[in-house]
Formats: sequence, structure tokens, C-alpha cells
Amino acid sequence: MTQTIFVVDDDEAMRDSLTWLLEGEGYQVACFDSAESFLHARRDDMRGCLVLDVRMPEMSGLELHERLDALGCQLPIIFVTGHGDVPMAIAALQRGACDFIEKPFHNQELLSRVERALELDKEIATRRKRDDAISHRLKQLTQRESEVMKLVVVGKLNKQIADELDISMKTVEAHRARVMEKMGVRTLAELVKAVMTVN
Amino acid sequence: MFLRPPPAPTKQTWLWLAPYAAIGIFALAMLIVTALLQWREQDTARSALEGDMHWAERTIETRLHAHQDFLASLGREQEFKQLTYESFQVRASRYVRDNPEIEAIAWVSTEGKVEWVSPNETTATYVGDQLTETRLLALQKALRTLRPLFSENYPNAAQLPANDLILPVQQSSADIGAFIAIQSLETLLRVTLPVAFTARYSLSVVDANGKEVFSNTSVKPTDRQISGTISLDLPNNRLGLNIVAYRGGGAWLPFLPAGLIIFLTLIATATLVQLRRHAHHRAETEEKLRAAYAFRHAMSQSMVTGLRAIDLKGRITFVNAAFCRMTGFDESELVGVAPPYPYWPAEEFSKLQHNIDQALAGQAPAAGFEMRIMRKKGERFDVRLYFSPLIDSNGQQIGWMASMNDITEPKRARVELEQAHERFVTVIDGLDTAVHVADVVTGEILFANRAFQNIFGFNSVGQDSALVTAACRPAPESLFVTPSKLRAENLPCELFDGELQHALSGHWYHLHERAIRWMDGRTVRVQIAADITDKKHIDEVYLQQQKRLEQTSRLITMGEMASSLAHELNQPLSAIANYCAGCIKRMQAGNYRFEDLLAAMQKAGDQAERAGKIIRRMRDMVKKSDPKCLPVSLQELIDETRAFADIDAQRSGTQIVVHIPENLPRIVVDRIMIEQVLLNLIKNGIEAMGDVPFDRRQLTIQAHVVDERVLEIAVTDQGHGLAEEDLERVFAPFYTTKQDGMGIGLAICRSIIEFHQGRLWVESGRDGGTIFRFTVPIEEKGE
Repeated sequence: MTQTIFVVDDDEAMRDSLTWLLEGEGYQVACFDSAESFLHARRDDMRGCLVLDVRMPEMSGLELHERLDALGCQLPIIFVTGHGDVPMAIAALQRGACDFIEKPFHNQELLSRVERALELDKEIATRRKRDDAISHRLKQLTQRESEVMKLVVVGKLNKQIADELDISMKTVEAHRARVMEKMGVRTLAELVKAVMTVN
Repeated sequence: MFLRPPPAPTKQTWLWLAPYAAIGIFALAMLIVTALLQWREQDTARSALEGDMHWAERTIETRLHAHQDFLASLGREQEFKQLTYESFQVRASRYVRDNPEIEAIAWVSTEGKVEWVSPNETTATYVGDQLTETRLLALQKALRTLRPLFSENYPNAAQLPANDLILPVQQSSADIGAFIAIQSLETLLRVTLPVAFTARYSLSVVDANGKEVFSNTSVKPTDRQISGTISLDLPNNRLGLNIVAYRGGGAWLPFLPAGLIIFLTLIATATLVQLRRHAHHRAETEEKLRAAYAFRHAMSQSMVTGLRAIDLKGRITFVNAAFCRMTGFDESELVGVAPPYPYWPAEEFSKLQHNIDQALAGQAPAAGFEMRIMRKKGERFDVRLYFSPLIDSNGQQIGWMASMNDITEPKRARVELEQAHERFVTVIDGLDTAVHVADVVTGEILFANRAFQNIFGFNSVGQDSALVTAACRPAPESLFVTPSKLRAENLPCELFDGELQHALSGHWYHLHERAIRWMDGRTVRVQIAADITDKKHIDEVYLQQQKRLEQTSRLITMGEMASSLAHELNQPLSAIANYCAGCIKRMQAGNYRFEDLLAAMQKAGDQAERAGKIIRRMRDMVKKSDPKCLPVSLQELIDETRAFADIDAQRSGTQIVVHIPENLPRIVVDRIMIEQVLLNLIKNGIEAMGDVPFDRRQLTIQAHVVDERVLEIAVTDQGHGLAEEDLERVFAPFYTTKQDGMGIGLAICRSIIEFHQGRLWVESGRDGGTIFRFTVPIEEKGE
């Protein structure tokens, strides 16, 4: 899936010049003149990164960040700040934003940050794909298998599990084998890792 | 007035008529009785008259017969010639003497000539007289008839009625003459009838024709009812005698009883009328008295004031309902009781006994006694008792009347009023505000609270307000209305509301003056003077603070402007950079279209222009603030600046030390601008000392006069100092050594100082730190 750089800035010259610059680097660029219009156009399968101006009339960049967070959107965000917005940007970073860049910026600086953001986006996409797969597998477990798995993961022995669930050792072993099979793992360590990733 | 309605009058009228009727009947009966009595009396009188009349008739007849007989005897003797003149004289004169009514006896011839007369001395007739007229006719008639007869009456010599008794004498059938007895009727009556008779009756003689010939004259009234007539049929002469009884005791006598009865009846009626009138009046008076009594009784019973009458020994003789109500005792329990009275509380005995003794001695105070008594239930209450002597209708004092008022409530009210007044006075006196009330006309101060007296003197009440408050008094022309022209209906009204300075103390007062109506109806001025000296000071401080706030806001505005300038400049600058970078990239890569590059470069140019415009706009804005250079004291200026700087100084623990000599000349600057410069330098200094130990954080402000035109001010910090190359660069716009600096402050500062024809420069301090110095112009002397 192709990655797009979404530029949200109320200043037309900024949008236009950023598009010029980023397209010159060969990126795909989409521009929005306000946070609202981006929210309106946003889809869950959007890939790439967001170059977001902090100071905008009506909804500010930070507010948009909060809204996107709430929506579960994981697009990496590069905040573009003016003079004096630095503390604000730091607060945003602490809230989990990807990066920020202070105006006036050097084009190379922006480009490297964009590159990094896109990398991050790729990582996020991969991880999500994997998580989805594990989740999918987990859903396929039966009630009992799930119970057995949870006890296995916390490191209980088969005998303990059998006592706790009031079933025979053999049944526990059978469930355990089926869990391993359904989860597509061979060792206990792999199982634990998969479950930890999802939770 | 309480008056009962008058009773129905019908019964009384009837009753009242009875005495009148009785009197009427009685009077009538009396009249009848009287009439009867009179009638009987008259009847008796008439009977007596009749008796008398018969008696008189007989007497007269007898007398006349006697005369006839005498004459007859004479005649017989003559007839027979036995009578001589002498014997005639003797017998006749003797007879005449015995019978006075016979005036004379005469012998007349047949022709009527008088021949003999006896007695000789008589004047009734004389010898030789010729009878005439009636007498002669009577003689002739007698001779003719030969019978004795009487002549008609004729007046005799004395002009009294008289008649002749004629006795004819014949001798052998021949007339020889006649004896005549001349008799006076008057004498006849007088002699024959006794005096008792004539005194009782009025007699009158009437002749045959009924003509009165004689009457015994008397002026005494006669009673016609008791009368009678005797008719003496004398031969040839009828002699009538009318007898009328004299009225006994006067003409009015018969009417006397009736009159008396009527008179008495009238008197009785009048008396009755008077009596009735009196009774009526009396009844009315009684009614009024009763009403008055009832009214007084009702009054005394309905009064809320208790009334108690005691006799001279203190025994209760009367109590009214209110008294009973107040004390709770019944009238029967109180009347007749001597002190100590049942409503005396034991604990007050001696005092009350003293009071009653005093009252009985007549020494009760006019204001009455205030005492505490108790109700029957034992509840105590306060009363005031007034004594006054009780005088009966004879003017004798029969005791003492006491009126008693329950003063528990009034007393409580009075106490409350006193407390309220006390509170009022306390509050009024407790006020900082001076309050006084003065008469509009006389200016006399009627009331002044403590605050007023503190300001204007402690004996100000009663004095003339105009004199007392002369030092702080609104001018008459500044009053809204002239107080003396105020009329009652315009009250209350505002007179003055404003601020005045006390001429002596210099304190400022806010005066609020109103004209109101005083308790006694006078128009007065109420003045409330609040000392606003402190407030005024506070106001001034507030004003200064406002000014500072304004300055601060200007400073903030400047900072904001710088910030927004930076942001605005960021946009075009970033855009230009982006366009350029884009172009460079494309050109480096070689895959570009000329038109695209051209368009991008044009856009970059536009953005550069936009940046230029922003810069120009800012410059215009700075120019707009129009500096005003006025002489100010540097000390003041520094003080004001420090008010702002102290906030930062305290936060950072920096000590600001000001070393400026006294008596510095004033500087001619735009105060706010220079304050900005100072503030900027101070802030820079504080920030520069951000990383030095606390005990070294000291910022010094110094000043000294350079020459008569210029004053130099130095701001020294103990901070990190500036590198040699920065000493001049710090003033360049957008150059900063601070992390969040903009590099604009010092540039502006220098502009400001240069605007004031001064210089702003920086030096490194001897032991680290930095010294910023600037010069400002001094106020020219003689200006």
C-alpha cells in the first residue's frame, strides 16, 4: 500500500510549497486547509504520515491530535511549530506524537523526519497485521482451550491446571496441544510472546 | 353621651289628665253647690221680702184706715155740729202730731176753699186756699160719691209727692164740705215702715199709671231678683209700692264664691301644670342623671385605666372593672379592704405602705407612684398610680381617687426605646463618618455624632453650624437648592453631594447633605461627611496601578506583537525555503519542467514580498505609538518600573539595588518608553543571572549626571556576561543569546533611547556580569 503525506496547514503558501518540496522528493502528498477537513476525509486504512501545523484557526493541531488518538488512528504526526510553540510541541510529543519541527526549518530536516515517520508507519502497519493474525487465532480457541492457555501462559504446570479446572491431566495435555496448533506456535515461549503482543 | 331612649308617653298623659279632670269636676260641683246655696238664700230672702211686704202693706193699710177713721170721726161730729173749731184744732193737731205723715188736716168748703187748717203752724195749706186741679177734682168726686177717697198724687210745698185723703161731710143730705188730710207719701213710708225695713229694701211709690212718684233715695245697689210690689187700692187712687231688696254686701258678693272657686281652680290647675312641668323636668333630670350615671359607670368600667377610690383611712370604697381586671381580684374582694391590700406582694409591703401613707397624707407626687404589685395568681407587674382627692358634692373630701396604669408594657417599651436609642447612639458614634444635623434657618447644630465632634470640636452641639464647619463646608452656590427656600412638601431633598478638603487638616471628606424634616417639624440639614483621605490615596494608588497596568499591557502588546510577527514571518520564510529546496532537488535530479520551476520561483518571490509587507506593517505599528516627553523624576520612574520587575526578581531570588543620588534633576522622557527600556534591561539582567548562585543574584541600578544636559543610567548584573563579539551584536534585531529570546528587545530599547537623543550601550563588568548604560536628557533649567 502506498504511503501518502497528509499536509494540514491553514496557510496556502505553506501547503503549496510543502507539496512542491515533497513531490520533488517523490512522495505522494494530500493537502487539507483545516483540521476539520482532514477529519472529514480520514479513513482507517490511510497510510503514511501527517504534517500538522500547530497554530490553526478553529481546531488547532493539538486538538486534532487528541481527536485522532481517540479515534484510534495511528498515523505518525510531525508537528510544525512556530516560535514559542515549543513547550506545546513537547507536551504533544509526550502524548505520543511522532515528531516536531520548528519553523523556519531546513528542508533536509523536514525530509529526514518525514522519512522516519513513514518508516514508523510501515512498522505500525506490520505490527498491526501480525496482531490481527494472532487475534484471529485466539478467537478460534474454544472456551476451555482459552482457559487452559491462560493458565499455561502464566507458567502453571499441567497438573496444577488439571486441579484448578477440575479436569484430567490427559485432557489438559490435549487442550494444550490444540492451543499450540491453533496459535501456530511450536514452543511455549512463542505462545507467551504472541499473547503478550496482543495484550 | 350614653342616654336611654325616653319611655312611651301614652300612659303618663292619661295619668296626668286625671288631676285636671278631678279639679274640673270639683270646681263644677262647688259651683253647683254655691249656686244652690245662693238660690236657697235668695229664696229665703224672697220669702222674707214677701213677709215684710205683707207686713208693710197691712201697716200702711191700717194707718190709712186709721186716718180715714179719724177723719170719719171728725166728719160725724161736723155732721152733727158738735165740732168746734177749737176742738177741731185740738184733736186734729194732736192727731197730726201723732201721725207725722199727715201734714195737715183741713176743712174745705164744697167749692174747695180751705176754711180750717190744723195745726196752725203748718205750711202745707193755709186757710183760704182754693183747691185746684186734681185736688179739686178729687173733692168734687168725693162729694159726688159721698165716699172718702184719695186724691191723685201731687207735689206738695216741699215738692214731695203727697195726696189728700178727702172725707166728704153731708148734713142732711147736703154737702157741707169735706175734711182733707194732706199726707206726705214720703213721710208715710218713713213713719209706717221701721228703719230696719227701709235699710233692707228700696222702696218706690208708683201711681195708678205705674209711674214712679217717689222713692227713698239710696245709692245702694238693689237686687232685682228679690223684689215685690204692693198695690194699695186706695179709693180713687191706687198706690203701688215697689219693694226691692238691697243687695247684701255689694253687687259682687254673689259672684264671690264662684269667682273664688274659679280662681282657686285656676290656681290649682296652674299649680298642677307647674307641678307637672316640674315633675316632667324632674323626670328628665332623673333620666339624664341616670344616663349620666350609667355613662359614668360604663366609662369607669370600660376604662383601661384602673380606678380605685379609698376613704380617708385607706379603705377601698370603689374599684372599676379595669382595676379588677388588672389585679385579678373581684370587686367584692377589694371593696372594704384596708391596707395592706391583697394585691400587695409581700416583698413590696414596706414600700407600698409608705406610698399609701404618703398618699393619705396628701403628699402623693404629681407624677404618681411607680410600683410593683401582683395579680391574684401571684404574677408581678408594674403600675403607675396617680392620686387625686375625692370631693363630694358638698365640697368635703371623702377620700382619695387613684388611677392605675399598667406600665409593664410601656416600661418595657421605654426600656427597649432606651436600648434602641443607646444602640443608635452607639452605632452613630461608632461610625467613622461624621454626622450632624443643623437647623436650616439658625444653623444651630441639633445633633452631632462622635466622629463629627472629633473633627469639629466636642462642644459643637448648639453652636452655629456655619462657624463650626467653616473649614469644610460646601459653598452656598454649590448646593442644589437654597435650603432656606425649601418648603415642607419638598422634603426630603438632596442638598449636596461632593468631595471637599478640610481647609485646616487637609483631609478629604465626601460630603452628602440632605434637607429633611426634623422631629419637631423644623427643616434641617443632615450632613454626612466620610473621611475619604485614605480612599483618595487608595484611588490615587489605584490610578497609578491602572497606569502601570496600561504600561504592562503595552509591554505585553509589544511582546505579543513580536511573537505574532515571528509567526507571521515564519510562514513566508518557510514557504520560500520549501520552494527553493523543491527547485534545487528537481534541478539536481534533472527531471524538471521549466514551467514548474518558474511557477515555484514566482511563488517564492511572492512569499518574500509577503514577508516584506509584514515587516513594514510592524514598523508602522511601532511608529503609531506617539511618544510624549515630559519632565519626570527618575526615582519615580524607577519605583514604577520596580513594581513590575519585583515580580520576576522575587521569583528568581534576585535583589534589586538602586543607587541614585538625591536631588537628581528631572529627565524629559516618555515615561512609559523609558520604563520599558528599564524593565527590559532589568529582566535581561535577571535572566542573565539565572545560573549564578542565589547570593550573587544582585542587580544594581545607578544613575549620575554626565553634564547639564544628559543623565546616565546603568543597569549592572552579575550574570554570565557577554562575549566580546556579542557586545555590539546584542543590539542587532533578531539576535539573541537567550534560549527563548527573540532578539528584538534590545533593538527596540536602542531605538527608544535613540529617539530620546540618548545612547544605549553595553559593557562587560569588571568581575563578570554586564553593564547596560543609557543616557537621557535632563530638564533644562529656567524652562
